[in-house]
Amino acid sequence: MALLNQFLKNMFRFAPLIFLIILITPLVLVLLSLFGEYNDNWNHLYNYVLPNYVVNSILLILGVSVLSTILGVGTAWLMTNFDFANKSWLEWAVILPLAVPPYILAYTFTGLFDSYGSANELVKTLFTLDENYAFFPNVRNIFGAIIVFAFTLYPYIYLTTRMAFINQSRSLIEAGKLLGFNNWALFFRLAVPLVRPALIAGLALVIMETLSDFGAVEHFAVQTFTTGIFRTWFGMYDLNTAMQLSSILMIFIVFFILIERYERNRMSFTYAGSTFKKTSKKKLRGFKSLCAFVFCFSPLFIGFILPIIELTNWAIFYPSEYFFSTNILNSLFNTATMGLIAGIICTIFALFINFLNRFGGGNFLKLSSQFLSLGYALPGLVLAVGIIQFFSLIDNNLTKYFLGFSLVGSLLGLVLAYIIKAYALANNTIESGFQRISNSIDDVSLSLNGSKLKIFFKVHMPLMKTSIFTSFLLVISEVIKELPATLILRPFNFDTLAVTTYIYAAEERMYEAASPAIMIVLTGLIPIIFLSQLIRDSRPGKS
Amino acid sequence: MKRDLLVLKNISFEYESDKEILSEINLSLKEGEIIGILGPSGIGKSSLLRLITGLEKPKTGEIFYNNETLCGEKIFVPPNKRGIGLVLQEKALFPHLNSLENVKFGLRGSKASKEAQAIKFLKLLKAEKFAKTYPNSLSGGEQQRVAIARALAPEPKTVLLDEPFSSLDTDLRRDLRNDTRDLFKETNTSSIIVTHELEEAKVFCDRIYKLENANIKEIF
Repeated sequence: MALLNQFLKNMFRFAPLIFLIILITPLVLVLLSLFGEYNDNWNHLYNYVLPNYVVNSILLILGVSVLSTILGVGTAWLMTNFDFANKSWLEWAVILPLAVPPYILAYTFTGLFDSYGSANELVKTLFTLDENYAFFPNVRNIFGAIIVFAFTLYPYIYLTTRMAFINQSRSLIEAGKLLGFNNWALFFRLAVPLVRPALIAGLALVIMETLSDFGAVEHFAVQTFTTGIFRTWFGMYDLNTAMQLSSILMIFIVFFILIERYERNRMSFTYAGSTFKKTSKKKLRGFKSLCAFVFCFSPLFIGFILPIIELTNWAIFYPSEYFFSTNILNSLFNTATMGLIAGIICTIFALFINFLNRFGGGNFLKLSSQFLSLGYALPGLVLAVGIIQFFSLIDNNLTKYFLGFSLVGSLLGLVLAYIIKAYALANNTIESGFQRISNSIDDVSLSLNGSKLKIFFKVHMPLMKTSIFTSFLLVISEVIKELPATLILRPFNFDTLAVTTYIYAAEERMYEAASPAIMIVLTGLIPIIFLSQLIRDSRPGKS
Repeated sequence: MKRDLLVLKNISFEYESDKEILSEINLSLKEGEIIGILGPSGIGKSSLLRLITGLEKPKTGEIFYNNETLCGEKIFVPPNKRGIGLVLQEKALFPHLNSLENVKFGLRGSKASKEAQAIKFLKLLKAEKFAKTYPNSLSGGEQQRVAIARALAPEPKTVLLDEPFSSLDTDLRRDLRNDTRDLFKETNTSSIIVTHELEEAKVFCDRIYKLENANIKEIF
């Protein structure tokens, strides 16, 4: 018994360490490639293609930043400070575009706005225009990509700045009014500077997602780091150069992670300072009310309603054939299996780590958990490159010879990538669940002959049912959407919904791409519903 | 002459290399006795209770309870093995359990015996009528009655009270204080109560100590 206790104690201590090593090794291998040899492919890329990747990535980031800031901050400001037509449902509906992965919006955009796309055909029919006339401009370029990213990612900025606007005390706004500021001056000279940390934190998330994307930029033929990494690997079969490109992208991403963390800390500092007085809302009428409605409805329409209409349009052509084809059902089964596995592992691991932390797990454990959480921001493609390299090393030195199988191309790589990518979601949810349980409850439980395990199962678990369920759902929805890592790490003939959508879309078989895409969007809606509830319950001073 | 049930010998304590909160504290609690610890906020009164329950470890010193060492140079008995009850100001009732289930939490034995014991203590604390009520539907005073019943139900020889009545209004506070003291005396339960009110301590306690500058001295 004593031996078993000792073993369990040591396991509790070393399990996070082992997990941390497994997580970090692929990323370290990617970074180490910078110090390795640079071959001819690299020289070619460096001289001819890399400047293009850098310029395109910067242009993409700038365009997406400006547009998503206008959409995100504008809607957040209007929602917080004004009452206007249909606001009650728009308040939560404006975050729905988060359920649509950029690559799916990209597919529907080309379906709508290509020369013979549905939108162009509709305009031609309505206005009896020449059949070769294209009313809408070509979207298969960097501008199309900017619109796609901005309209799917602006909710990140909406969410962070909305919280900040909500937490702004009425006293500050009243002070501005007394100083003679009109509504515009209040917005630009007072409200926006005050929510700057929140804006930057949201913007950093938007930029990270933009830099990480592969599906949308590939569909629009915009050359960025991710398309470059993919082509170097699958076109040139050069893993080393792909890793070197990944390193550069990773450095960019880490820079934005640091900005996001820094600004998020400043956000909490800002909120703590002032005495809260609920912001009063001004009622807008007539034309002003209509303008506010149009401004808030447009991003919802373009980022969510339009793609849903187009996907439905495609899907209703052959619904039974495509929704229930063996291929789609297999993909659905594979996706659900992977989602469940990742959901269970991430949630159990987050529970385990946070439970240990609650009872003084030590600084190392806390640091490990924070490190693990960084995985969320890393591009799936970079993770995939690192995992392949990591597994190749193990295969070449161990498994192939001693165990007779290969880790590369096995499901293990895929599961590992999903866990690294989604752990932060599970951890954040479980951590906040634990924070809601007072420490006094633990103290009293311990004094009532309660062992730590009894407290965990009889007190923590029942009180955290919602957090556990939310964590599980968030991980599943992340796994369902993940494309680049799945595309690279999946075993032969193993398709998920995201991969099936990608393959059909790449072959311009949009009717077939519609059903898996709809399934992805529907599952993506689950965490959005939770987020909407959070927004409604988040106002301080709320009775 | 009653025997010493709880003995603290040269207990010193500090929070992670901060300044010393308790220095060389010596204290003894006799069987059935009620001791009061007075002192301003943040002086270390609650820390003293946390050391006795085992929620914190002292820097130096020893704690003996019921002729056993709870804490010494190489010995540390975890809180759930000490058999010392604890009641806090914030009640800390389990929100997902009703009053009866809350009281049953720390009990051992058959289902029927746990139920009987829990009801017995709810009755003693005049709280049986809300046995099936969940904490969020109870008033502050009712919650505290359940919390005290829960601490007493396992029949510990000692119960520690950390400002248990301070969030209640005057009448309720007086009633609950008297009921609790009567119950302690009736069941021969010894107790240490932390409070910042001298009058309350005078009514409730047999002896009163004051904590000041990390030291303790008997004042009544």
